[in-house]
Amino acid sequence: MTGSALTALAPYIVLTGGVTLMLLAISFVRRGPVTLALTLAVLLATLASVGFAAGAGTQLIDGFVLVDGYAHFFTALFVLAATATAVLTFGYVDRRAAQREEFYILLLTATLGAMTMGAAAHFGAFLLGMEILSISLYAMIAYPDTGRPPLEAAIKYLVLSGVASTTILFGMALVYGETESMQFDALAGDGALLRVGQGMILAGLAFKLSLVPFHMWTPDVYQGAPAPVTGFVATVSKGAVAALLIRYAVTTEVLAQEALFFGLSLIAIVSMVVGNVLALLQDNLKRLLAYSSIAHMGYLLIAVLAVASAAGPEMAAETGMVYIVGYFAMTLAAFGVMTVLSTDEDVEDLADYEGLFWRRPLLAAVLAAAALSLAGIPLTVGFIAKFYLFAAGVEGSLWLLVWALVIGSAIGVYYYLRIVFGMTRQMEAGDEAAISWWGPATVAILGLAILVMGVYPTPLIDAAREAIRGFGG
Amino acid sequence: MALALFYIAAAVALASTALVITRRNAAHALIYLVVSLLSIAVIFFLLGAPFAAALEIVIYAGAIVVLFLFVVMMLNLGRRSAERERLWLQPGMWVGPSILVGVLFLMMLYVIVAGAPGTTEGTMVGPKEVGTALFGKYLLAVELAAMLLLAALIGAYHLGRRYLGDRREESSRENRP
Repeated sequence: MTGSALTALAPYIVLTGGVTLMLLAISFVRRGPVTLALTLAVLLATLASVGFAAGAGTQLIDGFVLVDGYAHFFTALFVLAATATAVLTFGYVDRRAAQREEFYILLLTATLGAMTMGAAAHFGAFLLGMEILSISLYAMIAYPDTGRPPLEAAIKYLVLSGVASTTILFGMALVYGETESMQFDALAGDGALLRVGQGMILAGLAFKLSLVPFHMWTPDVYQGAPAPVTGFVATVSKGAVAALLIRYAVTTEVLAQEALFFGLSLIAIVSMVVGNVLALLQDNLKRLLAYSSIAHMGYLLIAVLAVASAAGPEMAAETGMVYIVGYFAMTLAAFGVMTVLSTDEDVEDLADYEGLFWRRPLLAAVLAAAALSLAGIPLTVGFIAKFYLFAAGVEGSLWLLVWALVIGSAIGVYYYLRIVFGMTRQMEAGDEAAISWWGPATVAILGLAILVMGVYPTPLIDAAREAIRGFGG
Repeated sequence: MALALFYIAAAVALASTALVITRRNAAHALIYLVVSLLSIAVIFFLLGAPFAAALEIVIYAGAIVVLFLFVVMMLNLGRRSAERERLWLQPGMWVGPSILVGVLFLMMLYVIVAGAPGTTEGTMVGPKEVGTALFGKYLLAVELAAMLLLAALIGAYHLGRRYLGDRREESSRENRP
């Protein structure tokens, strides 16, 4: 391994070192504020090292990971999401668990797994990254140990995610049997085994992205998991899979096979429709957001499918990146507000949010911004993201998908506005439990990000374009 | 020659695995699972991966299944479960696994007498090559696997801790006269 390869790997090395450091620190000091400060310091150092690593340029290391602008972009995004989750969790976890320190370590390992997926160029990195992420998430979902621990959600996620990983692994074995390679850039070929294997890998990834018909686990896991962890599952775990899927589709040209392209298009359309229609029926905000995330992952598939269309890989990757950033901001904001409000039990019934504008104007404003952004209303980042998808779909002549996007969004507006209108209902301000300043401050920043990126998206677009220079070439 | 051995081992693997998933009794299923793992080890050996074959036996058939058996049998301690254990391990149930293992044993005897059968396809990959690949080309994979195990360990520690307290209370209550 050369020096420049080590430079390129700096974010991964810093984060891994940070995990070790925290393990040592916890064995001496078990105090919440110290652990949180250390976590934030490690995340900040990782973020800073991204800039340092970018100096080494694009590096394919041992044919295992491809550390390029694309990987760095997602590293920065995942680290920022982990930072928001860490701050939101402070005060949340210690009311629900006797020991909260391990949570932060698991958060860091999960982030490492997600970062690895963003840089994967080999089945080994793909699988190991995915498993580091999933195994950390199992424990994070089941973390609260006072009261009724959310074991049901954790077991469901464990079993179904395990099935998905097994399917992917079997697919990899079949692909390897045909091509005798595990590197993404050497998986070309045209055999029956290869096609079956690629199909199994895509099906497993669809499981992880909770696309219809592999979506059954999503509402239950979202509902059962602690609110900040749900936010993390909805963003980082799905964002990592999506980042990997886009790179995989670009490098292996798997979607050039018509059967797989057609199958994935079908999954996308069904996800958009089913996700939005089922979301209409929900009275629980977590379940509503779960179905909404199914629809959103369906939308995101337009970017993946655009890879193999006339739009081309660069346009597709740019669309995917902008969309994922927007989705991260609005989903984290929504679950962040839920976390801040959940002082005792998780506040998840839509009825509990009625009149929130009169009780907690700031939180209500952020949740409204998130809901409007998820619906794709102009001046929010959700609009920019959807506009990008629309453009990519039109450019690639994916007409059916564009129509499904339009219809799905139209249905979606109804239930997103239901959240907003519920919050505006007039209500007397009663006695509210005190909440500490850092939670509202975090969600306020997220809400601001939604609006700023919606009004002035140029920096985001420039960053995405800069990151994918030479991508897929 | 190697091909014939491969097909026999594959048949044993299929038969024993089918028996694993159809047994109603967990202890019986686990015994067939050992047979299944042993036959898969034979297949690894014939494919030219003796190191993987040895690991399959040491780690899977040795450590993991024995751990399974311990857990299944220790779930309910007491006279009733001792009785049940006796019922589980009646002489009749050993016939099936014995026949399957016997086939594998005959194959081994044959190989010892007739000499190494070679591989069905490809070359032999010894422990040295595996080590070189792991700590050369796949160094990053080893590091990532370490983090994977660390995450699993921390998760298991946290999830197991909550029951540790209960169990201690229970056992101290039982020990009281």
